[in-house]
Amino acid sequence: MAETGEAEQSQLLDPDREELIENNAPGDSKNSMLIASDSFENIDIDCVEEFEIRKHKGGLIHEIVKQTSKEEQDEVAKENDDQISAKSDLSIGEDSSEDQGEVFETKDIAEALDESVNPGNGPIVPHITDEDVNSPEWRSQRKHIFIFSDSGKPVYSRYGNEDKLVTIFGVMQALVSFIQVSGDVIRSIIAGEHRFVFLIREHLILVGVSNGTDSTQQMLMQLTYLYNQVLSVLTFTSLQKIYKQRRNYDLRRQLSGAEKFLDSLLNMMETEPGFLLGAVRCLPLESTVRDMIAQSIVQHAKVKDLVFTLIIANSQLVTLVRMKKYYLHPMDLHILINLINAAESFKAAESWTPICLPKFDSSGFLQAHISYLDESCQTCLILLTVDRESFFTLSECKNRIQERLVKYNGLQAIGDSLRKNSYSIQDCKISDLRHFLYKSKSTAQYTSPELEAPYLTQPEQERLFGLYQFLHQRIHSLSRPLKILYHVGPYETLLGWVTQGFELYAVFGPLVTKTLAITAINKLLAWIKREENRLFIMNSVTF
Amino acid sequence: MKDSNSSTKDSHPPNGFARKGSSTSTEVFDNSCKVMLIGDSGSGKTCLLVRFKDGAFLSGSFISTVGIDFRNKVVDVDGTKVKLQIWDTAGQERFRSITKAYYRDANALLLLYDVTNKTSFDNIRAWLAEINEYAQEDVVIMLLGNKADMAAERVIRREEGEKLAKDHNVAFMETSAKTGMNVDLAFMAVARDLKMKKTRKPSDPSFNVAEYVTKEQQTSGCCGS
Repeated sequence: MAETGEAEQSQLLDPDREELIENNAPGDSKNSMLIASDSFENIDIDCVEEFEIRKHKGGLIHEIVKQTSKEEQDEVAKENDDQISAKSDLSIGEDSSEDQGEVFETKDIAEALDESVNPGNGPIVPHITDEDVNSPEWRSQRKHIFIFSDSGKPVYSRYGNEDKLVTIFGVMQALVSFIQVSGDVIRSIIAGEHRFVFLIREHLILVGVSNGTDSTQQMLMQLTYLYNQVLSVLTFTSLQKIYKQRRNYDLRRQLSGAEKFLDSLLNMMETEPGFLLGAVRCLPLESTVRDMIAQSIVQHAKVKDLVFTLIIANSQLVTLVRMKKYYLHPMDLHILINLINAAESFKAAESWTPICLPKFDSSGFLQAHISYLDESCQTCLILLTVDRESFFTLSECKNRIQERLVKYNGLQAIGDSLRKNSYSIQDCKISDLRHFLYKSKSTAQYTSPELEAPYLTQPEQERLFGLYQFLHQRIHSLSRPLKILYHVGPYETLLGWVTQGFELYAVFGPLVTKTLAITAINKLLAWIKREENRLFIMNSVTF
Repeated sequence: MKDSNSSTKDSHPPNGFARKGSSTSTEVFDNSCKVMLIGDSGSGKTCLLVRFKDGAFLSGSFISTVGIDFRNKVVDVDGTKVKLQIWDTAGQERFRSITKAYYRDANALLLLYDVTNKTSFDNIRAWLAEINEYAQEDVVIMLLGNKADMAAERVIRREEGEKLAKDHNVAFMETSAKTGMNVDLAFMAVARDLKMKKTRKPSDPSFNVAEYVTKEQQTSGCCGS
């Protein structure tokens, strides 16, 4: 935290004595279309310890395809094969960085990194003079992300050019393999203000370096998201095939054009609490309107092999209709939201693109028909199918859905809600409550009011986000998880509360007392309960 | 897909009308034909299409296509309306295995390279090999050297493009999405070819796209023929 010097006064409350009323969780639903998730549930810690062993149960995509037609199945498998063996091969200079056998005596990791890239001490690369690593700008970035193959080949760096950072990738790979040799796994290094977090997956190693407010856990989760983003453009199956065929493959060839998805995902994770919470935000809509929209989809997109249909407006979920038996994981939904946020090209024309949803099935692609329903390109319709030949059928569906939504003012309602900007904290009528995040666990959805004063400037918003990260991390601490945390900071008082049904993080003015805060929270829960039909999608619609 | 598509079109009323959604929509058409734009990333496929469809040039930042974008345009060939269903594909390597699966449905392939980028030209042979493997026998192939307006940055001479096209027996033109040079001609030649194929009587001479475009095209600067 930034304000570490403050008189911290966090303590456990006794729920009984302080009379926090744990009534049923607002927004709770037994009938969710998203897979309920806990924070950090997404990170399988064991995966970090060993190379991941994936148990593909044959893959959901194949299962769906098999249900409908047997012949198609073989074709899909065949195509997958084609994909890798695909031709053209102008391979680029292999093997620069095998064998990073050196052992680094790392008293200070930052120092070690410095040394290795310093042309004086460092190995090779004499022709590159303007090393990014030496630029003050590069060094001052708050969060660096590096992805490389297990043979040390650079795949992605958030800042700077991977080719110029090749030595730093080498050092990181050396660290990982050095620890591996002794039968252990490197997880994180803390050096001064900097935190180095390692996520080791089969074939890929992801490293995050931050001097911000993120905890190790939170960074692991971010790295997991990035790994999933890579899978979503390649699939796990083809990643495996690529590296099986050529250990030294330069994966950037396959990812070219996809760097922007990694960039935008990183930016989103720094401002969007949904990633922290493992939940999505719904666009507030009257439940009758939302039902009408969902019904329009059910009636006009009843197509064999259509697995999910979603409408997303300004990163918020409007509706989701799913094939019976299949659910969407919030992590996959975030990948979809990121896809449409990052790719401008969808605004220009109807698009047809393969996408892998790693939580759903990391072994293959779904086909996505993506289009915007309104002129201003805010309301996006995504149709996800396993049938690669159904573009025109889905295009027809899109037209019919669009007609229906125009006719019954569905698009109008979405537009109105977008213009109103969610809701103001004033609407809750609770004095001294400045902001909150409320997540309904069973539906994996969350709600929060607009950012208002004093959180209007970017530094203030970042600070607020940091407070949430802090609260979240304390509550979900692996060594000492808390149910309730009351924390008085220099500028605000925080209260976090996690029950079976929900997670609530509230930010009050600095002068609020514990009793006041608790009364306020109870009032807030009652308010959310009253509004739940508007703020959450309470029922799950299937084809 | 071709079959399922044509049956979809026929089975949904009103026959012969494109549904709304795109600007050219409610026009009647007599024939429809699938055109695919392929070529390396950054060769200007989307810009070429936007120039043809909207008459505009996308300047500014590079917006790369993700997957395949789809647009319709109905054109008039000697009084016959031909609907061009245009698939604008992403040029990046990882999409190739996916886009090539659609080659077989295409009636025409516009294969682009960037005259200012040697790699994009060198890759044309690989593209052509793939086309031969996956596309229909009678597909119309047109090789387009795009960005012909960029004289200063040019690295591929027009003659090199011509020779490559001749070697592979495909039609060739240089185009510029920026100035609009030969853009309409490329698409119109395709539409004309399709129309001829549909309406030609066995006794008529067959339509040769390559000859047609050679005759009709404009050339940039003084180096042209």
